[in-house]
Amino acid sequence: MPETFPHNAGYMIAAYTVAAVILVAYALSLYRRTRGL
Amino acid sequence: MTLARKGRWTTLVGLVLLAAVYVRALAFTPIERTQGPAQKIYYIHVPAAIWTETAMILVGLASIFFLFLKDARLDSFAEASAEVGTAFATIVLTTGPIWGKPIWGTWWTWDARLTSTLFLFFLYIGYLLLRGAVADPGARARYAAVLGICGMVLVPFIHFSVYLFRTLHPMPIILKPSAPSLPGSMLATWGFSFAVFTVLYVGFVMQRYALARARQEVPHA
Repeated sequence: MPETFPHNAGYMIAAYTVAAVILVAYALSLYRRTRGL
Repeated sequence: MTLARKGRWTTLVGLVLLAAVYVRALAFTPIERTQGPAQKIYYIHVPAAIWTETAMILVGLASIFFLFLKDARLDSFAEASAEVGTAFATIVLTTGPIWGKPIWGTWWTWDARLTSTLFLFFLYIGYLLLRGAVADPGARARYAAVLGICGMVLVPFIHFSVYLFRTLHPMPIILKPSAPSLPGSMLATWGFSFAVFTVLYVGFVMQRYALARARQEVPHA
């Protein structure tokens, strides 16, 4: 009998997307501010 | 190579490794039976939370040493660590509710762990606003140091809040006196993610510290 899991993968994808957006946006912000250094 | 440039390369390495963490967590780590795929939010939420708290502890320690030694480099480090901590706190306060909705049935509850973490986020914001509001560099560094020490004092309360109060938030399953309660493959994914968040913290702080030092030398840089 196959194992069944709760169907909540959308929340997982949302969380991983949000984290990536925050980290990349902050990295770009630092890149822009420190470009001349 | 300048410190800012080293920081950019460290950050780039961290972001590439973060992509590897995503692949490992989403495709090669087993799904937990009771929580389902949403449990995998743990692999980014907890490393971000640990660095949110550690960043504030480092702000507080740098602030204490700054008040004694009056070394501007310590103030710059505190400023850098606070800004990076704010970014990680934003991850914690967004991924946490996204996990809470399918598992608890609610996005948010005013329990001790969540409320104190939100308070830490507001302290980070207040710290950065304070730095922007005080024009005199000496006064700015002193006031910010006092607030940074207050933030550091809050961190142990946040960590132990799940023991001190009845909270909806889960107990620690890794940072606890006994052995971690995660199976080996899940623990390896978590450890990999934590290492990558450490690289990102270091890369971010190197760049932000270089920027703070440049601004100290040329105030309007």
